[in-house]
Amino acid sequence: MALAARTAARSAWPSLAPFLERHYTTGVSILSVLVFLVLWETAADQRWMNPRLTGQPTLIWQAALEVFRNDRFFYHAWISFAEFGIGFVLALIVGVPLGLIMGTHKTTRLFLEPPLMALYTAPRLALLPILIVWLGIGIASKIAVVFLGAVFPILVNTLAGVRNADNRLVQAARAFGATQLDIFVKILVPGSLPAILMGVRLGIGRGVLSVIVGEMFVSQAGIGYQIMSYGQGMQINKMLVYALSISLFSYGLILSVQWLESRIRDWKPVS
Amino acid sequence: MAQIEIRDVSVDYKRPNSEETFTAVDGINLSIEKGSFVTIVGSSGCGKSTLLLALAGLIPYAKGAITVDGKTVTAPGPDRAMVFQDASLLPWRSVHGNVRFGLELRRWRRDDLDQRVTRFVHMVGLGSFADYHPHQLSGGMRQRVNIARALAVDPDVLLMDEPFGALDAQTREVMGDELLRIWERDKKTAIFVTHAIDEAIFLGDRVVVMGKNPGHIREIVEIDLPRPRTSAMLDSPAFIAYRQKLRDYIAADMASLQMVKDVA
Repeated sequence: MALAARTAARSAWPSLAPFLERHYTTGVSILSVLVFLVLWETAADQRWMNPRLTGQPTLIWQAALEVFRNDRFFYHAWISFAEFGIGFVLALIVGVPLGLIMGTHKTTRLFLEPPLMALYTAPRLALLPILIVWLGIGIASKIAVVFLGAVFPILVNTLAGVRNADNRLVQAARAFGATQLDIFVKILVPGSLPAILMGVRLGIGRGVLSVIVGEMFVSQAGIGYQIMSYGQGMQINKMLVYALSISLFSYGLILSVQWLESRIRDWKPVS
Repeated sequence: MAQIEIRDVSVDYKRPNSEETFTAVDGINLSIEKGSFVTIVGSSGCGKSTLLLALAGLIPYAKGAITVDGKTVTAPGPDRAMVFQDASLLPWRSVHGNVRFGLELRRWRRDDLDQRVTRFVHMVGLGSFADYHPHQLSGGMRQRVNIARALAVDPDVLLMDEPFGALDAQTREVMGDELLRIWERDKKTAIFVTHAIDEAIFLGDRVVVMGKNPGHIREIVEIDLPRPRTSAMLDSPAFIAYRQKLRDYIAADMASLQMVKDVA
């Protein structure tokens, strides 16, 4: 398919061919977004659907300018970002070491697994009312819910990464007189890095979801709060500006983790 | 006393998910002189790798005694280094990093650490591949790294567990030549486990033939071929005679197993 596109491009616009070749994947992705936006705009314009309910790209653009100028967008974004950031960093600080310890120390794992798995399988957003009772409607309850959302994917993947460590590598290290600490630092930690990053990527998704839902549920500021109030006021375009900004933020974060993962894939055996 | 003394050693394995044990090798007696090259050959399941792992100190033995230079083997020690089968290199480390790995674990804190690594990487002919990662190398190259990693820590005894088992026949021959070339420089005691009869004869001063149920030493054959060995010897009458002899021993082992099956 790629080849067909390349040859076609080459014969039509010889000067464009190398450009298209290099940016083939990005090009198709951008085209997909453009087609979607044009369809949306036309559908709303022709009243195939009601733009009061669905919004419209050009009106969203105007709403965006309005929001950035007069809506204290960056104040709300900062609140949400702080809640997410603190909760997520806490999840990393707890999830990665705990996963590593549970992966190496059997008794710790057996001891901690039942309560953690119970929490993992429970719908954690359902705990929000309790968290609000405990921590109030301010930033703390949102940090807690982000933490609870992100910590489990990170923990579970780290644990799996350590437990799936290649036994042949451990044995080779032992033959060279490795101590338990050597094996942990030189084999288990680097060996589980791909799994940890996968957990981080999943954790980002969960964390962003948690902060937005938390703010929609109860708060006085933040992106989720704005989405909720514009939604209730039927200001679809402004609401979508906030929703899209969230999408862009988490997409960017996930892209950077994927970049890290691809760097590591350089050494991963092809299997 | 020889450098390595194995006296009446047996190794028990615990069956998975039960308290039962079964005996993998039993009643092993073997003396290995310093600087000799001993190969251990036998069909799969005869416990040849088990014996090597016990000698490396990686698995405990139930009875008997193993000593290296008079010291009893209970754990891995700096006097021994091991070359494993394929896939024991760290995939996230380069060739240089993998050779360095063994030295790091041996707490080699001298200033010449990286120089030493470079020297051994060159010795196995991978000088221009020092920055490559294992998945970018061929099977033969990976085993060169494996050998360099073991030799770099300067062991007295080199233990090799089917190091060429995953290689194709041509590469295997080349690697055998290379291994002997490197070994002839300082003649470290070498113990080499394989299931390939030709390889065992070509490399060894002595070939230990093992049989199974439980694993035991069936025969020890002295190989009286001059060194340095060359691939031309593979077709010499003496070589063919050794090959025939060893094949008979191993076939007899398979046959006795067949009889046990028939009775059952």
